[in-house]
Amino acid sequence: MSKILLVEDDEIMPKIVARILPTSEYELDHVSNGKEAFEKLESTNYGYDLIITDIMMPYANGFEILSRVKSQPRPIPVIIVSNAGNEDMIMEGFKLGADDFLKKPIIPAELLIRVKRLLMKNK
Amino acid sequence: MEGIISVLGKAYENTLFVYGLILLLVYALLALLSMLAIRYYTRKNTQHQLETLASSPMAPGITILAPAFNEGLTIISNVRSLLTLNYPRYEIIIINDGSTDNTMEQLVEEFKMVAVDFAYNARILTQPVRKIYKSTDPAYSALMVIDKVNGKSKADAVNAGMNVATFDYFVCTDVDCILHKNTLLELILPVMQEEKKRVIAVGATLRIANSSDFDEGVLIRMRPPRQLLPRFQEVEYIRSFVLGKMGWSYINCVPNVSGGLGLFDTEVATRCGGYDHSSFGEDMELLTRMCRYAHDNEISYAVRYIPRTLCWTEGPSTVKIFSRQRTRWARGLAQLMYAHFSMFLNPRYGKMGMIVFPFNFFFELLAPLVEFSGILIYIYLAVTGQVNWPYASMLLLFVYTYAVMITTIAILWDQLSFRYYKKWWEVAYLCLTPFMEFLLYHPLIVFFSLRGYYYFLTGKKSTWGNMQRQGFGKKKK
Amino acid sequence: MFDIPTPAFLDPVFSTFREAPLAIRLAMIFIIIAISITLLAYFSILRSRFRGHQRKKRLDYLLPKIDNLIIDEILANPEVAAGTPADRIQLNLDGFQELPLHKKWARQATTNRIIHFRRNVRGNAGQLLRSLYIQLELSKDTMKQMKSSKWARKVRALTEFIDMDIPVADVTILPLTNSRNRELRAAARHAYIKLSKNEPFKFFDVVTDPLLMWDQVELFRIITTTEDISIPNFARWITYSSNKSVVSFCLKLIVHYNQLPAVPAVIKLLDTKDHYLRADAINCLGKLRVPDVEDRLVSMFTSQPLQCQIEILKAIGRISSGRQVDFLKQEFLHSTNFDLRKAAAKSLVKNDWVASQVLQELLDTADRESLLILKHCMNPLIKY
Repeated sequence: MSKILLVEDDEIMPKIVARILPTSEYELDHVSNGKEAFEKLESTNYGYDLIITDIMMPYANGFEILSRVKSQPRPIPVIIVSNAGNEDMIMEGFKLGADDFLKKPIIPAELLIRVKRLLMKNK
Repeated sequence: MEGIISVLGKAYENTLFVYGLILLLVYALLALLSMLAIRYYTRKNTQHQLETLASSPMAPGITILAPAFNEGLTIISNVRSLLTLNYPRYEIIIINDGSTDNTMEQLVEEFKMVAVDFAYNARILTQPVRKIYKSTDPAYSALMVIDKVNGKSKADAVNAGMNVATFDYFVCTDVDCILHKNTLLELILPVMQEEKKRVIAVGATLRIANSSDFDEGVLIRMRPPRQLLPRFQEVEYIRSFVLGKMGWSYINCVPNVSGGLGLFDTEVATRCGGYDHSSFGEDMELLTRMCRYAHDNEISYAVRYIPRTLCWTEGPSTVKIFSRQRTRWARGLAQLMYAHFSMFLNPRYGKMGMIVFPFNFFFELLAPLVEFSGILIYIYLAVTGQVNWPYASMLLLFVYTYAVMITTIAILWDQLSFRYYKKWWEVAYLCLTPFMEFLLYHPLIVFFSLRGYYYFLTGKKSTWGNMQRQGFGKKKK
Repeated sequence: MFDIPTPAFLDPVFSTFREAPLAIRLAMIFIIIAISITLLAYFSILRSRFRGHQRKKRLDYLLPKIDNLIIDEILANPEVAAGTPADRIQLNLDGFQELPLHKKWARQATTNRIIHFRRNVRGNAGQLLRSLYIQLELSKDTMKQMKSSKWARKVRALTEFIDMDIPVADVTILPLTNSRNRELRAAARHAYIKLSKNEPFKFFDVVTDPLLMWDQVELFRIITTTEDISIPNFARWITYSSNKSVVSFCLKLIVHYNQLPAVPAVIKLLDTKDHYLRADAINCLGKLRVPDVEDRLVSMFTSQPLQCQIEILKAIGRISSGRQVDFLKQEFLHSTNFDLRKAAAKSLVKNDWVASQVLQELLDTADRESLLILKHCMNPLIKY
């Protein structure tokens, strides 16, 4: 059972992700902005196996989440799922240590594969 | 002697009649034009467009300039909220204008800033820049802080920011203003969608923040201000932005882009010398100079407004602070009219010279004087028993109902297009405000304006310039 | 006009009116008009609030239902996961029949939701969402909107067809591409590129009015996200189009698709008289990293206006062949323009794989301003 945190302010995306990742294998928590994400991370003592995050969100953007997560003693793998088409922005994400980037609209099967791959790598 | 007085009296009466009539007609016209402008805006602009732009690699870069002077209480949350705006390509430049509190220290600590060797090019002269800071955390790579010697004006601080701005457009705001998350997307669209003209400035509606709910620089719920004075200002802002500015925007005659929030063409703003730090109304002064520059250099330009509210600012809630703000504005207007009077009815300056400037001269600058003289004469006539009371009260009632109508129409346009506020009774509450405006709020404005003109004529030193840059106190949270 | 019987208490009003001078009469009339308009405004506000409230209530009820149905039927469809092509999957529409789809607002809400989903997922699931839209016959309303006389409706309809990838006959779109309304004209062109099966890029040949920045954003999105579009060599328009905005847009597309075969056409464009276009061409060559063009750029440098000079310096930085270090050093040391010096320094830093010695030398000998510029450009924290 892998614990995944989804940070996303769109209302539909979480429903989609919840369906793509079977509940039998993944425990998915969803928060809709940067502030809630930090609260969730603090309260669980960064107890997630993977984070899927958007970039542009209220309170704290995806970059801040990445930066904070990657400075932990045990960095959690992060996938950015965003509609950002600006290359600089994507590069910025990777510079901050993002493990993967998926551009919206996503292909469901692809998300599943990437999630699996990252979780395997970090086992 | 008797004859001269009666001739003068007649002339005054007739002038006043024509003056009033034109003013009423202009407002009726603005009501109509603003309706057309807002309708066009709501038809054309869709959520879809904003999303497309947010995800586009072709979105033009924007620099945000936000001067801060002793903003220690709110600086962190406000910078955070700037960092989370929806836009693919922007930088944020905070100008610490020699704060005497811990504004600078807080920024350095919270965002891991370090001083960098920055090749500063003083295209516009300002008070010296001490140091420029960048963050060591790549998450804040869009952020830059300029630490400069206090220039006793917002203008000087923004100019320093303009000197380091990278992008072709900059958005000027106050650190204590709260912006909507789509602000940059909304403001750049009119620039990108303009057909033949070069858009040199874009503004949006401002509102009063006083009773709305905010959480760490994010708007949670909009409410009309509970206190009377800020509520008057909210109504005034709706009328002035949604009805006034939108109407002017429709015929490309916008007189001013508010200092609280505006997007400007960096090249034009820099070339014409940036903000004037000696001005009391630096926002209007800059726009006037930009338009002037455009005319002088044969740039076919446009200034646009959008009806959506994108910025919330704390309105003064005591008469004392309010009086400072309005006195200052009036003084700025007088200064501007005096400095640029050569544009008055000068066909060389197109609409600016033939419409915007004369309108501002007659109906903004002179209005308080006309009203005041009217009241004096009225009192004189009343004392000497020459007033026909039924007729006089009828005229007064007419002006009163007309004023209420115009304001109500402004609220209507605002409501029809955006349905702001959560509850209908909050709107009703707002609708009642104009009934008192005429008797309570308007006389105040007339009085403070006259005081501003007096200060302008006597050249009184500003005693507040520094502490209350925006003319009102600091926000407490 | 006063023949109609009036209540007695109004008599003084009417007698005042009759006796009053013109100005007062007008004032009285306008008071009544003002009051009526104010009341009408109150009524309109209330009505619009009420309608908005109703709409919100209905949507709050309906949207979760639509979402669940779409999730269950489309995203959780076992056949999608199995990789069956969308057009061969038989959708079970029973659940959707229970939605109030006989109502127009409900159909519109469903359409919007499907579009929203398609902005989040593509591939087979995206195709299946499209099938759902077709099978629920939601395009009928949109077809009707196309016939509306209001431009805004037509624009909305076209946008919807673009989003849902619904083919529209050329004969329907083509007349609209010449509409007098700019928004409609632009939307029709976008639709033509996206949906026409013939020659999507044909309109580049014929368009005479400038493509606005905004049009370019939309076109770029449509061109780069349409999956089965065949990308032509954009050099064609670089060479033949007389529309500057089309040329400038094609330069951006050439960069995006890294179309090296288009390079000769872009180089030819360096001879254009238009500064802006020339700057765009230089920018394009830099981004394509065409090393052979460096000498040409350097040789034309002195005769260029400032913006083109800056672009040339930037391009040399991007190409980073290492062969123009002396030129960059020269410009950095001897130019009098701050922006040129900065651009030269930046490009030197980008060439530092061969220029490190030169950089060190400069650092050791530079005056105060030069040193600051160099340090500025070498600092990884400063982006621009």
